[in-house]
Order: sequence, then structure tokens, then C-alpha cells
Amino acid sequence: MATDHREAEQLVNTSDSDLQEAEFVETNEAPGRCDSAVFAKTDDLDDLTLNITNGVIQNHRGTITSLIRKRSKRSNTPRDQETDADLTNNSNPSEQDIANSIEQSELSSELSEDEDVKNGLEDLSLQDTESAPEEAPSVTLIPSASESDYVNSLEWKQQKKHIFILSESGKPIYSRHGSEDKLVTIMGVMQALVSFVQDNKDNLRSIVAGDHTFVFMNRDHLTFVGITRGRESTQQMLLQLTYMYNQVISVLTHSALTRIFKQHRNCDLRRPLSGSEKFFDNLLNLMDVEPGLLLTSVRCLPLDSSVRDIVSQTIVQHAKVKDLVFALIIAQNQLVALVRMKRYYLHPMDLHLIINLINASESFKAAESWTPICLPKFDAGGFLQAYVSYLDEECQTCLLLLSVDIEAFYTLSECCTKIKERLNRYNALTAISNSLQRHSYSVQQCSIGDLRHFLYKARSTAQYTSPELGPPYNTPDQQDRLFGLYHFLHDKVHSVSRPLKLLYHVGQYETLLGWVTQGFELYAVFGPLVTKNIAIHAVNKLLRWIKREEDRLFILSSVTF
Amino acid sequence: MASRKKVLLKVIILGDSGVGKTSLMNQYVAKKFSNQYKATIGADFLTKEVMVDDRLVTMQIWDTAGQERFQSLGVAFYRGADGCVLVFDVTMPNTFRSLDSWRDEFLIQASPRDPENFPFVVIGNKIDLENRAVSARRAQGWCHSKGDIPYFETSAKEAINVEQAFQAVAKNAMAQETDVELCSEFPDPIKLSGDNNKPRDSNCPC
Repeated sequence: MATDHREAEQLVNTSDSDLQEAEFVETNEAPGRCDSAVFAKTDDLDDLTLNITNGVIQNHRGTITSLIRKRSKRSNTPRDQETDADLTNNSNPSEQDIANSIEQSELSSELSEDEDVKNGLEDLSLQDTESAPEEAPSVTLIPSASESDYVNSLEWKQQKKHIFILSESGKPIYSRHGSEDKLVTIMGVMQALVSFVQDNKDNLRSIVAGDHTFVFMNRDHLTFVGITRGRESTQQMLLQLTYMYNQVISVLTHSALTRIFKQHRNCDLRRPLSGSEKFFDNLLNLMDVEPGLLLTSVRCLPLDSSVRDIVSQTIVQHAKVKDLVFALIIAQNQLVALVRMKRYYLHPMDLHLIINLINASESFKAAESWTPICLPKFDAGGFLQAYVSYLDEECQTCLLLLSVDIEAFYTLSECCTKIKERLNRYNALTAISNSLQRHSYSVQQCSIGDLRHFLYKARSTAQYTSPELGPPYNTPDQQDRLFGLYHFLHDKVHSVSRPLKLLYHVGQYETLLGWVTQGFELYAVFGPLVTKNIAIHAVNKLLRWIKREEDRLFILSSVTF
Repeated sequence: MASRKKVLLKVIILGDSGVGKTSLMNQYVAKKFSNQYKATIGADFLTKEVMVDDRLVTMQIWDTAGQERFQSLGVAFYRGADGCVLVFDVTMPNTFRSLDSWRDEFLIQASPRDPENFPFVVIGNKIDLENRAVSARRAQGWCHSKGDIPYFETSAKEAINVEQAFQAVAKNAMAQETDVELCSEFPDPIKLSGDNNKPRDSNCPC
């Protein structure tokens, strides 16, 4: 992680005098814009931000400490204070002294007990008190015998991001790292923190402790906790937790989830969710590498518009079946074509759940499948039935037909056969596979010097485009860093207290430019030596390039049955 | 996630301050006892894995503070509990008389679905002490009147009956565990009415 010490940051309004010499492209002609939206218009983070008042977050900074202070006021005996001191985890020097002095005089049996408490809280605050190598090697497979050791290890504590799901009774449901089975105690602590604040008719939103941010979200008897020491903001963590919530709904439906907890408050939700852990893992992995989730938009496979028209028209002609709501083709996490029933829209957050379903399952490659999936933005109350089948031998291009008819499998299977046959006849599958092999495009193709990488989101269609990751972002570490820069830039631009139209940020290793208009969002990364004028000319040039390529990069026309 | 065989039980320990709740838990989980009294602040959480009828059960034991009711944490502690251990000190009659209010408060706060048959266990602790003041008969009488709650007399200090008492909690909680066959009942199919997509400001949480 780069520590940008000498960063200069300038917040720029379009009226800024410095900028008047540089001319901006007229903003209402955003490339990738289309009047009939392909998806439901993305509401971005707006709906999230509505729920959050800045003040609340401020209020709960340091909740652990205030919670502990409250407790110590109540207890009178000195031995109580001793436990308090342990709880504060050495954050308060005077209490630490008490802790130290008492620890020395303690019986050994009590010492170990105290350490248990202490360890428990250290786990919670994830403070690494020992100096350890910056990048611990990531272990993917942990033998189950060492599971309990793993969750107590330094490596576990140093994970960059933790995500937990627990029930309102404090029962563990999911943990990204380590078996949730071994985290029963820490989940209890989290639940106690959440409930303590809830009891004061308030909500615990986030805690900032050192370089860690703890973000809490309560939905439908569930508590979602995200802990990060990366560059994600509280807002962005909330968005990630919302995706996790959506994934729960996608497996169970909202109506089933509420019914379960209405009938069994003590329900162990791992049971009804069993088998779906891979979807949670995969979704979180996607979030770390796929900007589309951050931008609540999807990437389209670059394709000549004539080919794309053939694909969607083929679907329209051969899948015109009653009760079929959405038909789409996805290739390597990119959207190839989408056909929808009139009046119904596919929200990008729902589409990400579909992409995740395909991405996380190997079984679809073996045979055509019929699986229920709930799309929370479409209808959280029930399941759509998804017919899933790959169209090519290499299992890269996947067709999904989403219907409300439970009995439609064989009908849809016939549709698929016809679609496959036509797409082969028109060489459309070859075109798709060629596009996949070409790996999108490099930033050099835009022929703009100094521009290293960018994300461009067309807001009306909720689609985005970005070039491949080239040097210097060709190592995982550097990609991670670049992703952190985008998180930073995105957060600054969408700041709740002060949303910006334009941000020019000079960092240590690169210069960032974020620009948000009614039509688009652009996040551009330049070399560190670029000047403001050059950067602005470059993004104008880039917008012209995207405009030229928009037919290929975006789905501009919305096709309905 | 959990295989069918694995079960997690949330067990709450309640009782007046000083009756030995933490000691019982420590004896049960860590096989340790200390004579020194140390009030519990808020709560402690410990876990123990046990086998009950061939099933691996993880007990999530919530040890509460007896000194105060800690009402600010009340709902959090009781919510979704699978079993509850009520503890009194056989040498202190007032701790026995408190059982009523502990039980009532638990039932109010946790509001289990079937309060009559909620798996409680009563423990009369400190039987190693000489000055016993609550007879086993009296305790059993109370337990009987509350729907035949199992009663155990224990000594956390000498590890008498502790294991058995907790085993009983686990076993009774397991018996209550209705196998939630949630997924078998299919939710209502989606009806295409044209307003599925409408932003549901009030309902839609995302």
C-alpha cells in the first residue's frame, strides 16, 4: 500500500478559473447513453445514503470505549475495573496500568481466563500488536483439523477484509475467512455490541479503530459485519454488505427468510443456506476484482453491433414463450445480450447475482440446468426459475432463460436448442468466442498518452467499460492498489457530505481524475507527471474515443419480447 | 456451512450475583475453578463442543452478569436462546427465591414460541459448603411446579454434577429443535402483475 504523503488534492468545480481555459465536452451527450434503458436505471448509492445520517456514524465512533466506560461506571468493585481495562485493550493508559498491576498479582488460573477475554476482544478489534510481515501468504485450503488454530492465528487477524453474517441471536451464519463454526464467541461479542446500541433506539453503523473500519448492517433478523483495512469507505462497505444480503435473499427469498425467523427465532440459518457458501465466497472474490459491483453497473462483451443484433433477435424469435421474463447471454462475466419482457427491467445488482451464480457453479457446465433464483430488486418475495445452459463446447458462453413458470423446463430447453442452432448458423458464437479471445482492449488503443487506466460508466444504461489491466498494473499487488485508488476516487466523488462533480487528485504514484455528470461517471488514472490541462484534454479525447466505440462497447438498444 | 449433523445451541446462564454462574461455566468448559470472586461485566461467551446422541453440538454459552440485570443488554442476550440454565446458591435462600423473577424475565425478553415447554434447567450450586439452607425437596418442588424443570445439585468447585447438568440442557434443547424444513414449502410463485419492478421504498431494503 502506498502511503501518499505528499499528495496534493484539489477539489474542482466546473467554474474553477484554472479550468476555464480547458474546455469540457458537452456533458449531456454521454457516450453509451440510450433513451430506452436496458436495465432499470441504477439508483447508485442514493438509496444507501438515504438511510445514513453522517451524525450517526460520528456518534458511534469509539462505541466500544464508551460502552466500556458505561459499564465501569456501574460496577463498583475494583475487580470490575480490572476487566474493564482488559476490555479497552490498552487504548487507555491509566486503565492499562491498572490492568498491568493487577495482572501481576493474579493467580495463574485467573490469568489464563483473562487472556481468554483479552484474546476475544483482540480478535474483535483485529489490532495486530506484534510486528509481522506485511503480506502474509494467503492460504486457500485449510485442513479442518487446524480450523480453530487458524481463526486464532495472526494470519487470520491480518486478513485485509473480513465479512461476517450472523443471526440476531448471535448465531454464526457465514465468515469469509475461517470456519464460522470456530467463531461462535466473536459473533456473540458482535451481537452484544449491535444490541447494546439498538437498545438505545439507535443503530450501530460503524466503528473506526486504528486502520480498521467496522461496518454493521442489520436487515431482516440478520446482522452483516464488514471489517476492512483497505481503502473501502463505510458507504462502499455497506454496498458490499448489501450484495451479501441480496445473495441471502437470492437463495431463500425475503418471504421465506422472514417466515423462518418469525417461527424460529433461534433458527440456525446455516441449514437452509447449506450448499450456498460458494456463492458468498465467489461474490466476495468478484467484489475484489470486478469494478462493476462498486459501480452498480455491468460490463458488456465488446461486439459489433450487427452481431449483437443477430444474437438478441435470435432470442426474441426463438424464445417467445409465455411467462419468460428475461433471456440473457453471459460470457466470462460480461453481458452479451439481454432481452426482457416489456415493463420489466433487470437491475444491475440482480444481474450481478446472476453473473455470480454462473461464475461460482461448475455444475452448469455438465448439463442444462433448472434452478430457482430470487432476484431481490425484481421481486424479493419469490423465485424465478432459471434455465441455464452453455452454448459452446468450451463452456464460455452461457444462456439463461428466467421464467415464472415452474413447469417450463422442457419448453425452454427446446428454445435453447433452436437458439444455439441459429447462433451457430450465423457464426455469432464464433464472433463471441473471438471477442473473448481478444481480451477486450488495451488502453493504448485509445491512443491517449499518460492515460494508464480508466473506468467509464454510462449512467442511463448502468453499463461500464474499462481497458485491460496493463503495466504497471499487471501484478496482483498493483491491481489491488489500483482498485484501492478507484475506491478512494469513487468515495470522494460520491461523498455524502460533499458530492463532487470533478476531482483532480495528485498522488505519489499517479494522478487521478474523477468526473461525474448526469450522463456518465469517469474515473481516470494518469501517470504522476501529468498536468491538469493535459489530463482534461486527455479525458475529452477519451470521451470522443468511447463515443466512437460505443456501438461495440455498450448495449445501446433495449430489446423486448 | 453446517452439515446436517452439526448443531449450534445458544445457552444462557442466569441467576443472582455470586451463585457461581461463571464458575460453573469455567468448570464445564475449561475444567477450572478459582475461589476468588470476580463479578462478570456484561457477559462472557464460551463455546464447547459436545456429542449428544451421535450429533456434534456446539454450545454457545452466554454467561451473564448477575450483579445487575444489565437490561441494556437484555434483549441481546436472551434473543434466540435454545436453552436456559437458572442457577442458585443452596446456602443462600434469597438466591433461590429469585429464580421466579429470573425465569419470568427470561420468558418475557426471549418470548420463546412455546414458553411452557422451553428447555430450562435449574442448578443448585455450592453443595460442597457446610451451611446449606435450601433443601433439595424444596428446590424440586419449585421445579415441579414450573412444568417439571430438571433439577441438578452441583459443586463447581469439586466438579460434581456440572457435566451432567449441561448435558441435560443440550439434550433437552435438542429435543425441542424442530427440524426446520423451511425449503420444502415452496414460496408463492411470482405473479407477473406489472408492479414487481416498482421501487418498494418501504419494503425493499436495498
